[in-house]
Order: sequence, then structure tokens, then C-alpha cells
Amino acid sequence: MKESRLMLVQYATAVMAVVLVAIHLIMQGVIYPYTTAISFDNILSIYRNGFYAVFLEVLLVVVLVHGFNGVRIILHEFRQTAPWSMWVDVGTILAIVVSVAYGTRTVILAVFGVVSA
Amino acid sequence: MTGVRLVVQRFDPFVDPKPTLEEYTIPKREGMTVLDALLYARDYMDHSIALRFSCRQASCGSCGMKINGRPRLACYTQIDELKGDRVLAQPMDNFAIIKDLVTDLDSFFSKHRQQMPYVVRSDMQELENPTREFLMKPEELEKVLQFTYCIKCGLCTSSCPTVAMDSKFPGPQALAQAYRYLMDERDEGGERRLEALDTAHGVWRCHFAGSCSFVCPKGVDPALGIQLLRRHVLSGKPPRKAGEGAKVVATTQPQK
Amino acid sequence: MGTVGEERAKNKRGLQGWLNPYHYNAERWAYMFQRVTGVAILLYVLGHLGDTSFFVGGPTGTGPSTSSWYFIGNIFENAFGHLILILVVLVLFFHGVNGIRLVFTELGLIMKKPSSIEYPYKPRSLSPAQRSLIFIGIAVAIAAAIWTFLVLFEGMG
Repeated sequence: MKESRLMLVQYATAVMAVVLVAIHLIMQGVIYPYTTAISFDNILSIYRNGFYAVFLEVLLVVVLVHGFNGVRIILHEFRQTAPWSMWVDVGTILAIVVSVAYGTRTVILAVFGVVSA
Repeated sequence: MTGVRLVVQRFDPFVDPKPTLEEYTIPKREGMTVLDALLYARDYMDHSIALRFSCRQASCGSCGMKINGRPRLACYTQIDELKGDRVLAQPMDNFAIIKDLVTDLDSFFSKHRQQMPYVVRSDMQELENPTREFLMKPEELEKVLQFTYCIKCGLCTSSCPTVAMDSKFPGPQALAQAYRYLMDERDEGGERRLEALDTAHGVWRCHFAGSCSFVCPKGVDPALGIQLLRRHVLSGKPPRKAGEGAKVVATTQPQK
Repeated sequence: MGTVGEERAKNKRGLQGWLNPYHYNAERWAYMFQRVTGVAILLYVLGHLGDTSFFVGGPTGTGPSTSSWYFIGNIFENAFGHLILILVVLVLFFHGVNGIRLVFTELGLIMKKPSSIEYPYKPRSLSPAQRSLIFIGIAVAIAAAIWTFLVLFEGMG
């Protein structure tokens, strides 16, 4: 993938992350009082709201893609040998896949009622 | 007459294990520049100080060095404008040291050359056997003029945080010149230029720290050129130019 | 690897070039903080993925794993955990606002056009317009951190 396309992804995820994280923080500390927001019952009910579950999944992907791509950029500047560059790229993709998968597991288990109060 | 505490980094990499600082007290006179002080130290106190200089008027870019922690031209920096009670002269960062204040600019010039710093045209016959001038209107020149003021002093490259780590990064000087020629109305090599810049160590490794523009002594503002360059790299399309390949013909015949 | 002299001659500023903006401009400081806060936020997000995953254990460990929501709550819902959250909010807001500044400037959107220049040279790229966003980012970050402190410690919101 051309570097310009990767940077376009970085800019797009940056703008999306600002909006999505702002909504997430508003939900956690403004819409609901903080102690209510982090209570088990409240979280279960908002996970069971399909829209919010999708929202959390999108937030997860956006933030992790932006974060790991940023680290990829930093690591590319660290060293410029071909093996290092290759492992940085491979490592970034792996890190994104693994962390998104782990976060998605939480969302799916919560949404599909595996968890009960 | 008051004295100037001039501290110079001394280092011959093939002789000394590490750099040392040597201090000289220079009699101060009004309007004295750091270059004046260094030349006084070299001429009257220590002939072995190695430094580069030439024009003494910020035209040649030879005397670039780090003065009190910031890259500056020695001939263009008055002693009185520096804060503190000492003047610390060190070689520019990010350039290999040859001796004392003299650095190796080979890779800097090579990165500049890689950007094809000349007008690229498809009409080779005309280039080799010119029959006319390639004209540029004043408003077209305005788009690139400030970038043509570059004197290749290296201060911008010395201050760049990306150059500090990434040896493949072209640096602010080369990228500013890439923009200068991309925007030149006479140039037809836009696509080639853009393709070369769209790499993992190309224009995208600039993060707008802005230090290049901050230290540039000629007002080139390389950071401006680089940020404007990105849009063209993103689209992959060179800027639209007047006419077809900017074939502007002189209104008078060239004299034979 | 070159000769001893060639190795000694190398004069790359290295990591110091990234992390030490002393003697330079506000944008250089913002660059350093953007990198540091970015890495810090990513580390927090990874930790946050971990602590929110305890949710699947149910409230008291009746779910598919033996972890539980109250277990993780007991670890982090205290003064130390709240201080971490305040710090996270501080770096998050700075990173976000400064990031928006960078999206605009790096795409040339709030950059002035090049033109003929006169001495004393003031770089057009280092304009007050984009520089003010750095200070707005700092102000917003501090305000958000204060709000978070009031929410977490004073029970507001």
C-alpha cells in the first residue's frame, strides 16, 4: 500500500477518533453520572443497545488502527534496514488484528448475552 | 574593552576519543559576529581551529553551525543578540564531523540532487539546441520565488527531528526544492517527482515540527513548501500549469 | 560499521532530536508532546481493552471466565486509578486538538500561499493561526482534566 494511502487512513482515523472518543467520554461522564456509567447493569444495558455496541466496535477499530499506524511511523524512523522495515509492517498488522480481535470478543460476549447480571 | 567568552567544540574524530570544549576570551567590538570571534580566535590564539566560511554576508551558506544550541550562520549572528555570558560554537547536528566546526555535507547535497533540482522537460531537442526562452510570468514566479532563496546552508536539515533518526529522509531542504521545481511552470517532470516522494521515508516523514523554517536565515520557509507538497503527493497529480506543458514562447527572436 | 574515526564522526542527534525541543519553536514542542502523548494513549487503550474485558466475567465471576467486573473495579476505582484517568484525559485532549491542527496544516488547508518575502523573514507556515491551536489544545486539556477531577473526586456530573 502506498504511503500516501496509509497517511490518508491516519488522517481519517484521527478525525473519526476525535468525534468517537468525545462521544464515548460524554457517555461515560456527562450523560450518565460516572458511578452509574461504570456500573455493571448500566454497561450491560448499553451493550445490549445495538447502536452503542456497533459504536464501540467502530471506536475500537479506529483508535487501534490510528495508534498502531502511528507507532509504525515512529518505528520506521528508528531504523531503516530492510528487515526492520518489514518486521515493523508485519508487527503493526498483527498488533491491530490481535487487539481488535480481543476487544471484539468483549463486545460480542456482552452483546449476545453470554454475560448475565 | 569587554571580552567575549567563546567556547568552541574541538574534535578530530580520527585522533580524539571524544569532543572537548575549549574556551577563548575575545576582545569584543561593536557589531561583532560569531564568525568574527571565531576568526579572531583562529588567527591570534589557536591556528588549529577548523571552520568553514566564505562570503561573510549570509549568501554562501558555508558557515552554518550550532551556536548556543541552535543552528545559525556564524556570519549572520551578532554576539549581542545571543543570551547568556558565553558563546558556544558546535558543529551542526545530523552531519558527520570532519573536524571541529566543519561537517560533511556530501549526503545533504546528494539528497538534493535526488530531487532533480532542475527543470525537466520532454522536448530534449529544444533543451539541447535552444531556439527560444522558457518564459515565466511574474505571478508564476511568485509561487516559487521564496524557495529559490535557499543557499544550501544545511541549518534546516540540522534542526530537523526526523533527519536526527531517519537517514533515508530527504530533509527539509531537498523537499522544499522538490516543491519549488514541482510548482515551476516550465517543469514537466511532476509525476516523476511525486512518485519518488510517496515512500515510507519520503515527504510523509515530515511531521511539521517547523524547526526548519524557524532556523532558516533566508526566509525560505521549507515547512510551508513541504505541507503544500503533500497535497500533490496525496493526489499523485502535479499542479495544473498554464497552457499545454507551459509552452510560452518569447515574443522576440533570440539573437543569433 | 565503518572505521573507529568514521563511527566517532557520526553526529546524528538521534532520540534527543525527537525528545529535546529546547531552543526551538512552539511547533517543535507540540511535535514532541504529540508523539509522547500518542504512545501513552496507545498504552492506556491496550490496558483499557484488558480491564474492560473483565466485564465478560459478569459482576462477580459467574461468566465464562473467572474474572469479574467488581474484581477489576476494586483494583482501579480508587484515588490512584482516578489520577491515572485524569492524566489520560489531559494527554488525550491535547493529542486530539493538536492532531486536528496537524490534519489541517499537513494537508495545506490553513497554510498561506507562498509569495515574495521581505526582511526580517517571518515564516508563513509558523503562523499565529495554527500556533494558537497548540495553546487552545493545552487549555482544553487542562480544562478537561479539571472537569475529570471534579467528576471523579467531587462527584460532580
